[in-house]
Amino acid sequence: MISIAIKYISVLRMNWIQALEYRANALVGVIAIMSGLFIEYQIWSLIFKAKGYETVKNFEFNELIVFIFLSIIIGQLKSSWHSSGEMIRAIRTGEINKYLIRPVSYFWYHFMMFIGFNSLYYIVYTLILIGFVFIFPGMIFNSFSTVLYFLPALFISIYISYCIYFIMICFAFWFGEVRSLVVSYNLAMLILSGQYIPIRFFPENILNIINWTPIRYLVDFPVSIATSLLTKQEIYNGFVLAIFWCLVLSIVGSFIYKLGIRDYEAYGS
Amino acid sequence: MDIKIQNLSKSYKIFKRNPGLKAAIKSFIKRDYFLFHALKNINLKISEGEILGILGENGAGKTTLIKLIIGLLHPTNGSILVDKYKPWERNHDYLKKVSVVMGQKNQLWWDIPASESFLLNKHIYKIDDKKYKLILDELIELLDVKDKIDIQVRRLSLGERMKMEIIASLLHSPSIVLLDEPTLGLDVISQSKIREFVKFHNEQYNTTFVITSHYTKDIQEMCKRVFVLNKGEKIYDGDFKELINNINPKRKLIYELPKNFDINLIAKISKSFTFELNENIITAELPEDNLQGLLVELLDTTPPASLLFEDLPVEETMRSFFENPNKYIK
Repeated sequence: MISIAIKYISVLRMNWIQALEYRANALVGVIAIMSGLFIEYQIWSLIFKAKGYETVKNFEFNELIVFIFLSIIIGQLKSSWHSSGEMIRAIRTGEINKYLIRPVSYFWYHFMMFIGFNSLYYIVYTLILIGFVFIFPGMIFNSFSTVLYFLPALFISIYISYCIYFIMICFAFWFGEVRSLVVSYNLAMLILSGQYIPIRFFPENILNIINWTPIRYLVDFPVSIATSLLTKQEIYNGFVLAIFWCLVLSIVGSFIYKLGIRDYEAYGS
Repeated sequence: MDIKIQNLSKSYKIFKRNPGLKAAIKSFIKRDYFLFHALKNINLKISEGEILGILGENGAGKTTLIKLIIGLLHPTNGSILVDKYKPWERNHDYLKKVSVVMGQKNQLWWDIPASESFLLNKHIYKIDDKKYKLILDELIELLDVKDKIDIQVRRLSLGERMKMEIIASLLHSPSIVLLDEPTLGLDVISQSKIREFVKFHNEQYNTTFVITSHYTKDIQEMCKRVFVLNKGEKIYDGDFKELINNINPKRKLIYELPKNFDINLIAKISKSFTFELNENIITAELPEDNLQGLLVELLDTTPPASLLFEDLPVEETMRSFFENPNKYIK
């Protein structure tokens, strides 16, 4: 078990090393994160000022800003613009062969790549989150138990997101190119997962549907835990459904992968 | 670990279209698929410790065969059994015992030094520290890349990258190594280094090598036995030298006569044998028996100033073979 863990942690380590090779790219990545937060801040402060709102859907300005900042951060951590493109290219060009010839699980190998590629963001975001705790006292992580619930919720968010990407990417075994599917999904999720507008702002009928899907667990669930918007019972219920979705998506992913690999033609050399 | 292949076939469903925008639109709506038979009814047994060369022109099915043995492809029909493993099941125990090098962008991470990729393989294959160091040092020494392993892979030359790929593929001491075009694009020195290395590794560790190459010289130097494919079908399986002799049984004799040789005696011999005479040098390309006969006659009449036997170039021989393989294969 330990040696298996070491095997996959080594993949993670390689990703960190690779990310550190490109200093300029890392710097641009950090600037992009900060500018995203700045733009959101400007938009919402203009909305509050222009409309003279005290609260929006029970959120005061600072509460909403914290909620949205956190949503952007979680949304980034579970996103895969780069590594999903790489995986699709690997299947289309036959580069996936290099994983298939080694005694590793392709699913877990790429999960580590997925996490590894976002590692830089993890570090920057952790620092930002620590900053939030001091800048907005009492609005985020106001007890140790919130942190304890938040961390598994964050992991589930990343895992569910990865599973959805994995399933979409597996279609490349048949269709060759599925980037348009991934891009459409990414764009839809910017809104539907609550990355830019809290899903609490959605009409109730849409919200009711989202609450039963894995989409809820991508952003809203961990952010709601961190900002203490859920009761303990709601958190427990949420975890049960989230774990159910983790299992379903893992099984579907594994099934589609097995079918795909049977039809895979190992293009290129 | 023996490799047993029985009645193996592999077909791909492929679509084709004519060039141009109109054809692209037509193909977008309706595609004309056809079945391409990459391998047809292949039977092959490779014993442990053998070096087998797979020969064939482009599209003959060499790489497909390698991909089937490593388990990248499922056979359409037939079976492959390596020891007790079916390769396409990709059992991790099986994958720990085999290795493949296909091209120069195989296992290594492009943007970081090869040494990091070696470390990753150490963890993937669970190689203990002592063994890892021992094997790595030996491979680095043999392939002469000590000062290159800490340089970004993308900054290495083709030959250096291939050597690194070979190191990465051998770190876990596999019983079977599949090399697909290992010397493609390499300079003469690198080619020769890799050939020497394969022979050494085979002798030292009894590793089975299956090698495809367009360079007949690779096969000639490394492999005693060859398996020849033509359009997905086996056309020869056996001793390489025997194949060459079947295709072109001639050898070349260069016989330098003394300056004061008697032209009449040579003219007499020329009635029985075909050869060329340039000043005082006789050059003959004849089957072995005839060549021996000519030599005896020449030695009887005029002792040589020097003499030399040459095998005819194997590359040329194989080219004429592939132009019309049916002519040579019974």
